Amino acid sequence: MQEATFLILTALATGSQHGYGIITEVSQISGGRVRLRAGTLYTALDRLRIDEMIAVDREEIVDNRLRRYYRLTPKGSQKLAAEAARLQANAAAALSRLDLAGGTT
Amino acid sequence: MTGSSGLEQGYRRLLAWYPRAFRRDQADEILGVLMAGAGEGQRRPRLAEAADLLWSGLKMRLRGPALTGESRPWSDALALFSLVAPLFLLLADVLAVALPYGLHPVAQFRFVSAFGSHTEIGGLSLLRQPIFDVTVGLGVLLAILVLLGLRWMALAALGAAAVYWVAARQMVPWIPYPLQLLTAGGYLLEMAALIASPGPRRGRQLVNWRYGVVLLAAAAAVQLSTFWYGARSTPWFLGGAPPAPPVVWLVSSLVLAVAAVSLALAWKLSRYFLLLLAVMCYPYAMELAFTPSGSGSDLLGSPTPLHLAALFLPPVLFACGTVLAAVTPRRSRLLPS
Repeated sequence: MQEATFLILTALATGSQHGYGIITEVSQISGGRVRLRAGTLYTALDRLRIDEMIAVDREEIVDNRLRRYYRLTPKGSQKLAAEAARLQANAAAALSRLDLAGGTT
Repeated sequence: MTGSSGLEQGYRRLLAWYPRAFRRDQADEILGVLMAGAGEGQRRPRLAEAADLLWSGLKMRLRGPALTGESRPWSDALALFSLVAPLFLLLADVLAVALPYGLHPVAQFRFVSAFGSHTEIGGLSLLRQPIFDVTVGLGVLLAILVLLGLRWMALAALGAAAVYWVAARQMVPWIPYPLQLLTAGGYLLEMAALIASPGPRRGRQLVNWRYGVVLLAAAAAVQLSTFWYGARSTPWFLGGAPPAPPVVWLVSSLVLAVAAVSLALAWKLSRYFLLLLAVMCYPYAMELAFTPSGSGSDLLGSPTPLHLAALFLPPVLFACGTVLAAVTPRRSRLLPS
């Protein structure tokens, strides 16, 4: 799973979000390191919808514009949990080996 | 025009690079996000934003309508074609080997020896050259890759086949056999289909056994007419009568061709797909059409750039047009109503 996808799913883990909200959340989660652009975001959202990992939660009209809220599906939650576990295991292994090698801190 | 509306127009122009169905569904939403993220007093899209939208739009177009929820008959026909064309060409090649061995032993000997034994396999191989193995190998590889739905790997195999063909043309200076024209025309369109359509994976969802029946009949028709063509070309039968009256092959070929077309119409196969097949066969049909008038052997024996242009230009133009139509936004739909 690409980092942008992982962060988008993570942004939706606490509840539904609209497009601009996801961009803001991803920036916060990554400590400002990842700043999604609209084109990249909607390409990823489209793919995630096709893969049934997210779904449209509701739609609103704000300032005469459509605002669509997305939410995680059960499949998306499972994938995110599996990916998080995998990353955690990898990180733990790396840290453990660094400790064995004398540590870096 | 205010700065805000100018900015919005700029974004709309960039969003035109997305597929139409996607725009219809999500352009307004993306526009909202873009406008919300715009800086104070910003009058036009930033360069990085423009690059991101262009790149994303192009990626989505290349990804194809199957993945954007859009259903377009041309895209589906191209997807189907990207799966079926390599199988059809392989089938024609296999029949080129198999059919002579179904003849009476005496006729078979005469026919096979006249045709330079079974190395006369057609496809992109050149006449009587051992390099046909490579050609058929690439054909088999391509067929397997499209059956597995591996679009980009299939495209790479196709590229390898094309490079190989060009290299072989340098080694052997005569024009390809009619079947090779068919294959070359088919591969040009296959390349366009792999690039511009959702690819063979989508084709696999659309294909059914009826396509198989029609293709088998069409491949057999092509092969029998090739026999007829061979019988009309004196070099193949120097000093010997053909194993069967050439007219038998021609009539058989015509019957099969009519059967293939009738079945395709009766079963309501995609007319766009049939048009693609027809374009693929264009160079081949043209070669055959010239044979009775005696110009066919000229085309076969001493190709000029004009001959080659006449034979390959229509499929090349068609292929380029298909790719352009797939990736170019429609300007008339850019602006809001």
